[in-house]
Amino acid sequence: MTTKKMALITIVTASFAAMIVAAPRPAWAADPIKIGILLPLSGNFAENGQQTLTGLKMYFDEVGNKAGDRPLTLIVEDTQGKPDVAVTKARKLVQGDGVAVLTGVVTSGEAIAVNAFSRDNKVPLVLSGDAGADELTMPGPLANPYLVRTSQNGRSVASAAADWAYHKGWRKVATVGSDYAGGVDVNFAFAQAFCKLGGKVIQAEWPPIGTADFGPYLTNLDRTADAVVTFEPGADGLRLARQYSEFGLKGKLPVMDIYGGLVFESNLPQLGDATLGFYSSLFYTPMLKTPENERFVAEFQKRMNQLPANEGPNGYVGAHAVVDAIKAVNGDLSDTMKFIAALKAVKFDSPKGEISLDKYGQVIQTMYIREVQMVNGQPANVPIASYPHVDQFWPYTEAEFESFKYTYKDSKNSLTDCARLLAKK
Amino acid sequence: MTWVIHILNGIAFGMLLFLLAAGLSLIYGLMKILNLTHGSFYLVGGYIGLTVMQRTGSFVLALVVAVAAVALVGAAIERFFLRRFHLDELPQTLLTFGFLFIFADLSLWIWGGNPLMLNMPEIFQHSMPMGYYAYPVYRLFLIAIGLVVAGGLWWFQEHTRIGTMLRAGVDDAEIARALGINVSLLFTLIFAVGAGLAALAGVLAGPVLSLYPGADFEVLIFAFVVVIVGGLGSLRGALAGALLIGILDDFGKAFFPEFALFTVFVPMAVILVIRPTGLFGRR
Repeated sequence: MTTKKMALITIVTASFAAMIVAAPRPAWAADPIKIGILLPLSGNFAENGQQTLTGLKMYFDEVGNKAGDRPLTLIVEDTQGKPDVAVTKARKLVQGDGVAVLTGVVTSGEAIAVNAFSRDNKVPLVLSGDAGADELTMPGPLANPYLVRTSQNGRSVASAAADWAYHKGWRKVATVGSDYAGGVDVNFAFAQAFCKLGGKVIQAEWPPIGTADFGPYLTNLDRTADAVVTFEPGADGLRLARQYSEFGLKGKLPVMDIYGGLVFESNLPQLGDATLGFYSSLFYTPMLKTPENERFVAEFQKRMNQLPANEGPNGYVGAHAVVDAIKAVNGDLSDTMKFIAALKAVKFDSPKGEISLDKYGQVIQTMYIREVQMVNGQPANVPIASYPHVDQFWPYTEAEFESFKYTYKDSKNSLTDCARLLAKK
Repeated sequence: MTWVIHILNGIAFGMLLFLLAAGLSLIYGLMKILNLTHGSFYLVGGYIGLTVMQRTGSFVLALVVAVAAVALVGAAIERFFLRRFHLDELPQTLLTFGFLFIFADLSLWIWGGNPLMLNMPEIFQHSMPMGYYAYPVYRLFLIAIGLVVAGGLWWFQEHTRIGTMLRAGVDDAEIARALGINVSLLFTLIFAVGAGLAALAGVLAGPVLSLYPGADFEVLIFAFVVVIVGGLGSLRGALAGALLIGILDDFGKAFFPEFALFTVFVPMAVILVIRPTGLFGRR
């Protein structure tokens, strides 16, 4: 090979390489869109992460990992349930792998951290995990134009519980609420909505997270209440459910379990008839008799060998929203705000019921009241009432919601004080 | 009547704490190792009991298998790992810290992340009516079994040859060795007994507290509080500390709910100020 030839080849190769680098790349149809999934797959929230991931993957598999004609590549990262790890992994996904969308996120702590990352880096974040802190999707310091949430929020589930409790005829209730920001948030939403209707919380108990023994709380419960309203996620819920019947309260004081932490699907078979007759509120139950849900439950059981609770359907709906939005912009994600607008415009039927989003990106969905009944010899959360199209401010308008003087942050010790809860600015 | 229930409740919880703390205290007393794997022994024991209970339906078998299996694991850890750092407490403690994570991941892998509850035997599945209230029979059983184990351990320590060797080893390991006591064998044995006690607590607590990832760490903290209050290395201290903490925790939560998060830690801090060695601890 002559030197001349060599030089020629070099020049040709180099200019070709330069062309590739310099030329604006067209969004080739064959180019996969990368989706970054942030979920805790180890540590205490591993099960929540795994179930959400199963839901996400179920939908992506269902559409053949394609949105329109654009193939989708999923990159999953383990956040360990820790906010700092979640942000590190988000950075790795966006800056290292070049993902176009972030989704998943189970704890509110992680959500608040990743939310800030999304806002600073202008990366769309679709919360499809449990993370339910109300403020994420409300006007205020956490507001983020790049965020949508297709999963849930704290106050809607509690408001539905309050409405149903009042119409059931209960006027004074005792609350047992897990003592952390999310727990106070949920119990405050319940008490406020219940007060507005004319009911009253006559006793508020706040067991700390990880309460091993609910004995002292159960012994002290005010027996003159019409019912007990609980919010106890995780192992606390399982313990409270068992101990409630052990202390002979089952059948004497009815239970309304906001979010169904006591009657969680994986708890029910372990509790026998201990929770029979417990009421609960949530945006889902595997017992819904819709074609979307029956198909979902069958596939979920095949994959996880258990009934779905809230996480599986949330993941599935999140994936659905992402795919629909990518299709709506014809796979062109270069204009981020256009993509976000497409996300906020999605509307479809899901295992949870009808899904749409409000202008802040928060999901509008159905709330269900369930009752534990025996179905084929197994306890199950049978839906007995539903509240369709519940938005994040319901039962108030946004203006009315904003007019209240106190938020949950200054109300932990005043749940029993209706005048204060309803005070206007 | 509520007072009776609160006291019973505190004692029952205290007995669980005692079972949990006794092993930790024994191991520290003899070997001067702060065994951070103790909570894992509790959790793994509970999980093994749960599996045996599901397969056979026998609570007694669940207890026996869980205690035996975890005691064996404990003996193996002492023999093959801790032994390498003989009398070098810091590496030993760090090693037990490592095992904590290994057991946590193994149990997550085998038993999954959902909280699981052991079924209690049929005969305990009801509650005793007490006027307007009711008290679960299983907790009375816990009180009874706690007393039996406490009595058994006391007898073991005071009236058996191994118990005598144990006391000698606690007082002065070097002299005990010089007198011909096989301290190494004693170490393995006591580590196994301690692990077995934690497993026993795990199975017994399973129907009340349930088993889930993270429970290992939570109970480890409880156990530490009890042995700090009672005095490290003293069985009597573990019993007194456990009952005290159990009752204070119940009353604290019932009557000073705003301090519920640290009903367990306030007494500990107070005791540390007044008696840094704990109620029955020696220097």
